[in-house]
Amino acid sequence: MNKRRHIISLSVLIVLVIGSLIANLVAGNTPALGLDLQGGASVTLQPDGEFDPAGLDVAVEIIRARVDSIGVAEPEIILQGSTVIVNLPGVKDQQQALDIIGRTGELLLRPVLQSGRLNENPDTTVPAGVTTIPTSVTTVPEPTSDSVEDGAGIVSGGPGSVRFFSKGRTISSATTVPNSPTTVDPATSSTQVATSDTSIAVSTDATQVAAPTLGLGDDPNDPTQTALLLDKQGIAYVVGPAGASGKVFKNDARADVQTGQWAVVVGLRSGPDGDQLWNKLAAACFNKTAQCPTGQLAMVLDGTVISAPTVNEPEFTGGTVQISGSFTPQEARDLAKILEFGAVPVRFGVSQAQTVSATLGSDSLRAALISGLVGILLVSLLLFAYYRLMAIFVLVGMSVSIAFLWSVISLLSRTNGLALSLSGIAGIIVSIGIAVDSYIVFFERIKDEIRFGKTLKNSALRSFESAWRTIVAADTVSFIAAIVLWYLTVGSVRGFAFFLGISALTDILITYFFTRSAVLLFARSKRVQGRKILGIQTVKPEVM
Amino acid sequence: MGKLFAGFGRLYRGETTFDFIGRRIIGFVISLVILVAGAGSLLIQGLELGIDFRGGVAWEVPAGSLTDQDARNVLEANNIESSNAKIQFLTGSALQIMRVQVGDQPEEVRLSVQKAFADLAKVETQEVSVASVSSSWGRSITEKAIRALFVFFIVVSLYISWRLEWKMAITAIVAMAHDVLISVGLYSLFGFEVTPATVVAFLTILGYSLYDTVVVFDRVQENAKKFAASRQSFANIANVSTNEVLARSLNTTLSSALPVVSLLVIGSFTLGAKSLEEFAVALLVGMLAGTYSSIFVAVPLLDLLKRDEQKYKPFRGQVAKGQAMSELMGLGANSIPSFVASDTDGAVTIGGEVATNNSQKRVTSVLTHPPRPRKKRR
Repeated sequence: MNKRRHIISLSVLIVLVIGSLIANLVAGNTPALGLDLQGGASVTLQPDGEFDPAGLDVAVEIIRARVDSIGVAEPEIILQGSTVIVNLPGVKDQQQALDIIGRTGELLLRPVLQSGRLNENPDTTVPAGVTTIPTSVTTVPEPTSDSVEDGAGIVSGGPGSVRFFSKGRTISSATTVPNSPTTVDPATSSTQVATSDTSIAVSTDATQVAAPTLGLGDDPNDPTQTALLLDKQGIAYVVGPAGASGKVFKNDARADVQTGQWAVVVGLRSGPDGDQLWNKLAAACFNKTAQCPTGQLAMVLDGTVISAPTVNEPEFTGGTVQISGSFTPQEARDLAKILEFGAVPVRFGVSQAQTVSATLGSDSLRAALISGLVGILLVSLLLFAYYRLMAIFVLVGMSVSIAFLWSVISLLSRTNGLALSLSGIAGIIVSIGIAVDSYIVFFERIKDEIRFGKTLKNSALRSFESAWRTIVAADTVSFIAAIVLWYLTVGSVRGFAFFLGISALTDILITYFFTRSAVLLFARSKRVQGRKILGIQTVKPEVM
Repeated sequence: MGKLFAGFGRLYRGETTFDFIGRRIIGFVISLVILVAGAGSLLIQGLELGIDFRGGVAWEVPAGSLTDQDARNVLEANNIESSNAKIQFLTGSALQIMRVQVGDQPEEVRLSVQKAFADLAKVETQEVSVASVSSSWGRSITEKAIRALFVFFIVVSLYISWRLEWKMAITAIVAMAHDVLISVGLYSLFGFEVTPATVVAFLTILGYSLYDTVVVFDRVQENAKKFAASRQSFANIANVSTNEVLARSLNTTLSSALPVVSLLVIGSFTLGAKSLEEFAVALLVGMLAGTYSSIFVAVPLLDLLKRDEQKYKPFRGQVAKGQAMSELMGLGANSIPSFVASDTDGAVTIGGEVATNNSQKRVTSVLTHPPRPRKKRR
């Protein structure tokens, strides 16, 4: 290692650290504070009873959508194993939080009474169009089925062949489905809607008009009332009371390629709560009875219409339902996931609910910050007393470490929603000791070497080699602890582990690129040779 | 006093020559006494588990002029058995907070009690913090922590076995268990409440204790290599290594403990830092125990395991003390080739300090004479 490389390593590190610090400051990234430091509500949920791992993701999505809808700033929703932790900073009302999160999302099958696009601009006279894009549903023989109905022979393309129409897909897909109706132009569409059993046209602002005429319920999530719901593309559906829930399906929904396009195939449970219920609903829709005048059956999850295919078969005797249309592979997989969730909805029990008042939070933050600063001050005094001027290296090194940690935490707060909690601060305070120890190990080594008559330069070089091995070994142990804790625990222990791990890595980085270069450069400078260093007289080398 | 300063000076210069191995019995007895006291307390009164482990509800109310009895009245009014309730007053710099803990309650009860407390303290409902935990949750986090602990034991043992050697791994784990037992025993003895933060503290102690032991053992291993040629008993190697790292151990302990002490002191003057305070106590005790056990438990234990190895057996029982030990230390730190070492050794026994210094200076200055830099001649 020559002098130039030390200077390069030192300056690159310092430029990097200061650069990232400034970049974070300019971008306005600051460490996000955890709930225990800024107040708010926290709810920990655990699934009760039977659940499907695939359903868990859907459940978390539902919770996320609900939290977003109430506009909490920086909510934190973490899935750890099967435990869901929802942190809502700033939310003071625990009850509100529990109401939003605690409900179980349920997949409901609701007949569509009427559908169309809400007119976003009521002033225009041109009705916003309803485009019908075909998706088709056919029954397919279930390969593994051993039931008697299977023998009844669902032959593909037989008389029982079903067609579904789902709204909101792109028009191009119509061409891929044979037998499909042509796209309805806006004018026809509004007539079509108008000729249904109500007198309103969707071309007017449906939210205003539809409500009184259709007798919509107060709560769109109440499955027993008629409701106006939207799907993700913004198409509105007026849906009747729920005819069945997602529990009519088996949890075996899968996305599959059927006759050249993506489709979702799902099995039906047998019995009165399974295929019998489904077939009743399917028959009503197929025959376009008053209960289901459009022939469409909406699948509704948490107030959103996921899909609303048209039923093309009065009876599904094969034990499976196939929903096809112009799905992208991703859409098909998402729908399969939701059906699977619908079959075994995840019921959460609240394992932990807590509110931290903002005063309590800021008090804790202040306590942690003050004690951190006082701690650093005391340590500096100790080090100056013991190592004299060499303690400057510790101080500068610690500042570099802190600046680096601050940048990393700020960045992760921004990108990964990491929040600095009380236990995280505890982890950092503990790591101060570990960081200082690296210097102590190094300096004590140098003292040993100087004591036995080596020049400062040689002492520093040799000491670093042995101290480095020790530091790496010790930091590795800390790091292993951090990783094990991170993967195997939940909650506050995890926050602690995270910061412990980051601190151990920072320590290794700073020791190698900062401390080593700085001390070695110092040790070879001509001015300090033969002086008292670390309180010990060094030998003046005969040759420099 | 003068002796103390002299001792400090020797420590500062790294010249201490304590015979740790010869006096191992003192350390073992002290540890045993503390461990038995802790274990006894654990068996008799067990641990005071917080609601996170038992399940239950806790309200925190800005206390004002509220009393114990007020809180009990509120509980009774909501049909909660108040005799089991745990009521604490947390005093901070600005105001006082009353914390009331009871067993698990349904949501409606939680809310109505929260409201009642808020009315009583004349604050907004939201100012009263409520925390509720189901008991199964507490059990599951405890199980997870214990599982993590076992995995950690295994991984760390493997690492130390690979990096150092398996006897050191065993000893390090024993020392770590010693430290954690002491801290857990302390919690039981003083009836501190065990919260998730406490678990964090115990885990920190684990990490810290291991870290400290690894630093000491690293030196032991290094010296074992250096002394390989000069044929020493393991006790000598252990003593020399321990004395060499003594200054480092004390400094590190002080500089790790200072932030924790400030956390403790400042935490106790601040609101809402009750758990922070107990956390700090656990950490402080654990850190002190960690340093203590590395030197007084881990190294002597390692000697017990290693002294009968073929390499060391012939010299078993030979312990260099005082001046002889400092000679050995001179050898170790300087790592002079063995033929020079025997030379210095001879000089020292007669001549004392001055002779040592001279001879060593001579040897080292020869050794460290840097070769002429050839590059510059170009």
